[in-house]
Amino acid sequence: MTDPLIRLTGITKVLKGQQEPRTILDGVDLTVAAGESVAIVGRSGSGKSTLLSVIGLFDRADSGQYELAGQDISRVPERRAAKLRSSHFGFVFQRFFLLKHLTAAQNVAMALVNGQGWLPRRERRARVLEALDLVGIAHLAKNRPARMSGGEQQRVAIARALVRNPRVLLADEPTGALDTETGALVIDALLAATTRGCGLILVTHDRDHAARMGRILDLDAGVLTERVPA
Amino acid sequence: MRRFSGRFRSSLIIGLQGIRARKLRTLLSMVSLFLGVSAVVVVQAGASIAEKALLADLQLTDGIDGTRIVDMPPEPKAADIVISTLKGRTDGVATLGVSAIIGEPGVRPVNEGGSPIDEDWGGGMVCYGDGRCEPDTSNGPEGAAIEVRLTALTGDVRMFRPFTQQSGRWLDFSTMPSMAPRLVLNQEAAKGFDRYRVPAEMRVTGASANLTPQLIGVIDDGDQQPRAYVRLDELTNWLSPANLGNGGAEMRVLLAPETPTEQILTTKLRGAGVETYVSTVESRKHRQKELTLMRLIFFSMAGLVLLIGVAGILNVGLATVGERIEEFALRRAVGTPRMLLAGIVLAETLLTGLLTAAAAIGVCVAGLKAVSMLIGDSEPLLHNVQFPWEAGVAGILAGIVAGILGGFVPALRAAGIPIATVMRA
Ligand SMILES: Nc1ncnc2c1ncn2[C@@H]1O[C@H](COP(=O)(O)OP(=O)(O)OP(=O)(O)O)[C@@H](O)[C@H]1O
Ligand SMILES: [Mg+2]
Repeated sequence: MTDPLIRLTGITKVLKGQQEPRTILDGVDLTVAAGESVAIVGRSGSGKSTLLSVIGLFDRADSGQYELAGQDISRVPERRAAKLRSSHFGFVFQRFFLLKHLTAAQNVAMALVNGQGWLPRRERRARVLEALDLVGIAHLAKNRPARMSGGEQQRVAIARALVRNPRVLLADEPTGALDTETGALVIDALLAATTRGCGLILVTHDRDHAARMGRILDLDAGVLTERVPA
Repeated sequence: MRRFSGRFRSSLIIGLQGIRARKLRTLLSMVSLFLGVSAVVVVQAGASIAEKALLADLQLTDGIDGTRIVDMPPEPKAADIVISTLKGRTDGVATLGVSAIIGEPGVRPVNEGGSPIDEDWGGGMVCYGDGRCEPDTSNGPEGAAIEVRLTALTGDVRMFRPFTQQSGRWLDFSTMPSMAPRLVLNQEAAKGFDRYRVPAEMRVTGASANLTPQLIGVIDDGDQQPRAYVRLDELTNWLSPANLGNGGAEMRVLLAPETPTEQILTTKLRGAGVETYVSTVESRKHRQKELTLMRLIFFSMAGLVLLIGVAGILNVGLATVGERIEEFALRRAVGTPRMLLAGIVLAETLLTGLLTAAAAIGVCVAGLKAVSMLIGDSEPLLHNVQFPWEAGVAGILAGIVAGILGGFVPALRAAGIPIATVMRA
């Protein structure tokens, strides 16, 4: 059997602030295979974003083991982590985080112009257009964010996440700022990526969107449990 | 190599995007730094120009740095030894100074004592026991005559004292000596000739007769006193070395550094019992202390202004990083290494600093040109000055230092932004 894409074992994250330390993640176990889609649901403040930031190497767990495609990366140094973020992960957030002084195409190209390897301009443009096409907005390539709707902006963000062909897509409430219909389009675009073998971890408050994922996991006070299909 | 070029090109694109998105801020940084860099450039340029002018003046009067000077009393035997030793040699020139009066015979010169034409050294006063003084009229009434220091030369002295030709010609040492001595005046003497219609007749103490000199040119020798230069062999037609002792004559030999002629000359002179005083021209060294102090004072002032500029660029830089927190967090999220981001921030300020330096240098070059053109005629110091390259270097250095100082802290901040910022926002 091949290694799963992501395997978390006993991941804990403790927040050390001014007050006494608070455990945000408490022994999380999670396995995600290639092409699989997983929804994570839970109350606000339950630690969903924290879990995503550990998976996406924005942050490191305090204990537990993290294997990415069979490799233990629990303690990778920051240089390597940056490289892995570039090569393995794509991110989509509730807010779109587009740079307003750049066009849609330049915003997507940002993930290619990150100091990790170099693509000539022509190839860069082809990849960017391909990614924009995947989410259906290639015709908006030259527009700046200020002249796009929320749904269009979020799809630019998805194109940015997809442009390097990541192994895993991490989405933190990507439909939170969109109406139901537009939100459904965004979920479509994310699910389309899983058909190409990309893993998808979606944090959402929306039952319908969660229901479209292969599995649903509940996060409650830092403890992750699989929801048994009714 | 490939990795490096990828990073470099990425940072170039990110940096340029950043500057383009914040043109106004970049401009504000530049404005705050401009005065500082200009101050450094101006101070350095001023110091260099002043130093050059000062040294150039000293070169004219004292000689080029390193020149060896042998002074001796003007005894006839000394003159003989000097003239015979230097004959045919190009590494040394003897100068013999005597006083001479050019003009109407039998009158007192307008500048008795050889004073500058517009000054009166008050020569020729006769004072009595009761404290009363009156002009001494024993030398006859004041008339159209000028007293000059006449310097007779055995060779072209300009290799030691780089006189600048003002008009006419310099002495030609290659021709046969003329019976009518050819004279080259300095500017002060030329002024006297201009003002008083002085006939070309010359009285030299100890000369066998009055001479009829030909005036062939005017040079600037940096001297305030009226002076005239003549070939020694043309003067000795009329003035035998034996008569040199009188009339306040002075004799000096200028020699190139480290020439064997010096040894030969001093040995011969000492052998003949002539006392010699040997020294080296070291204008730069003598002035070094003053120059260093002057520089120090001006540079501390310029440094202060530069510091204010750095504070300005730092202020703008920190505000910019604060504004770009999201951008930097996002760039880190998509895999941009933090060191690259820090480098980009530093490079942006550094570029701003260099652009400012270039602008400041440009303005200073243009300003100097304008000043030199407008008032250069009345201020000899500013006449036709070149922009000193040291000032350009100082400006570039100031720009780099300011860029590093002003960009370092923002760069550290940028590198320290946690990526999770993006998720919490
Ligand atoms: N930097 C921080 N400083 C202080 N507390 C933090 C920080 N980051 C997270 N927390 C706390 O950790 C807990 C989990 O936060 P997290 O953002 O993961 O929740 P979440 O499940 O994503 O919530 P939501 O659904 O509202 O986005 C919260 O109680 C939050 O207050
Ligand atoms: Mg959250």
